[in-house]
Amino acid sequence: MALELQSITKTFGGIVAVDDVSLTVSEGKITSLIGPNGAGKTTLFNLISGFLKPDKGAIYYNNHHRLDGLPPWKIARLGIGRLFQDVRVFDRLSVLDNVLLAENNPCENPFLSLLQRKKMRRLEKENIKEAGRWLEFVGLSDMRDTLAENLSYGQQKLLAIARLLMGRFDLFLLDEPTAGVNPTMVKPILGLIRRFSNEGKTVIVIEHNMMVVLEISDWVYFLDDGMVVSSGLPDDVLRDATVRKSYLGL
Amino acid sequence: MNYILHLLVLLTIYLILSFSLNVLVGYTGLLSLAHAAFYGIGAYTSSLLMIKWKVSFPLALLAGVGMAVLLSLLVAAPSLRLKGDYFVLASLGFQVIVFNVLHNWATLTNGPLGIPGIPKPSIFGVKISSIPAFLAFSSILSACCIFILVGILKSPFGRTLKAIREDELATLALGKHITAFKIQAFVIACGIAAVAGSLYAWYVTFIDPTSFNLNESIFIIAVVLVGGSGNIKGPVVGTLFMILLPEILRFLRIPDTVAANARQMIYGALLIFLMRYRPQGIAGEYKFE
Repeated sequence: MALELQSITKTFGGIVAVDDVSLTVSEGKITSLIGPNGAGKTTLFNLISGFLKPDKGAIYYNNHHRLDGLPPWKIARLGIGRLFQDVRVFDRLSVLDNVLLAENNPCENPFLSLLQRKKMRRLEKENIKEAGRWLEFVGLSDMRDTLAENLSYGQQKLLAIARLLMGRFDLFLLDEPTAGVNPTMVKPILGLIRRFSNEGKTVIVIEHNMMVVLEISDWVYFLDDGMVVSSGLPDDVLRDATVRKSYLGL
Repeated sequence: MNYILHLLVLLTIYLILSFSLNVLVGYTGLLSLAHAAFYGIGAYTSSLLMIKWKVSFPLALLAGVGMAVLLSLLVAAPSLRLKGDYFVLASLGFQVIVFNVLHNWATLTNGPLGIPGIPKPSIFGVKISSIPAFLAFSSILSACCIFILVGILKSPFGRTLKAIREDELATLALGKHITAFKIQAFVIACGIAAVAGSLYAWYVTFIDPTSFNLNESIFIIAVVLVGGSGNIKGPVVGTLFMILLPEILRFLRIPDTVAANARQMIYGALLIFLMRYRPQGIAGEYKFE
């Protein structure tokens, strides 16, 4: 298993946001989390990526790394990358700098950057080359010197994806990757998600667009009121009477 | 002529201070009210070593930097885990503590009477005592500090600091240990401020706690905010503007009795005007929020 959540509970004051959730995510597969607003999907992402600590339960990555209790930066370094719902690109940095930031390497040590200037410059050159490749991959290579704040929302999503690619993560947490983007951008984004999976990467997607869920998911979890109500193959979950009634309004 | 050279020496000292504070304010988004404290730590450490133990100036300079680095680590480790306003308050607390130590530990610092007779540095037995020679010396030291800071800020380290300034959560999600980055930025800024302190002490040959109080910290912040932060030219413009402004004000023929107060009021009014109409400063790229 790439990821396993065991009886995770998270409360905020008296409100139970995640209630005894257990789920597993298979390696190299695309798993979707669906459910109404407030079901606890983004809270689960926050728990997996370390931005929140569970009150109860355990989270395991690749069977042996226990994630709960680790700070977010350590979890990211274990290979878990996150695309935020509100994108969170670095507005006043260039597109190229946004992508380069995903690289964690010795160039970031201020003392090494002074003492080993030649070596660091060579490393940085290689990083710029790789970042350029990923920008080309998402179709933003012409905008590498543009400030991220000047990109359209859809382009910012592509930039955030390029940043994930640069980070060489093995597990991607994608929070509504197609929400708010121009319909013409949806296809390229789905293509990228499929490509992650084809390359053996594991993907967990939060998505409200059921067409997208049906198109890309290998497995679906339906959450409501912080609990897993249903899970299975996409067709089966979307045919589930509870899901149809409480979420799809059918 | 000597007066112009004196202004140029002051410019070299304030360039070091504004560039080093820019690492925190403009690049990392941290407002430190303790910059004058580290400026003072450099000045007092090197002066005391040179007077009491006859230490040579390069060693005294290094010791001043070392002391500032050590104390900044002690301040940074707990306070940089604090966010936003809490860090500002923690730095204010440190500034107040340092001022009180300098003011009250009379057996070491001579208290409010200050330390007179600080020796000028000498190179190969030649004392740098004339103003032109000191200007050359301070220009070289200032250029070295700026070279180091610009090198660091233009490296991937500077880019990560900017990312922290823009969005801490997104930076964490990319695997950056942001507290470690902030601590490094703080230590570098404080260590370099200590160099300015030593230079000031050697130049004026007398220091007392009032040169390193909260007003001085606020003045250095004003230099950075007026000039603009987050890039290289902002601190240069700010230093030129704020150090040369009193000279410009001479043309207004303000009576000497109120000149100092009038200067403070004009600085204040200028800050209010800039924050309202040009929050990124005259030549800066980052709007401090």
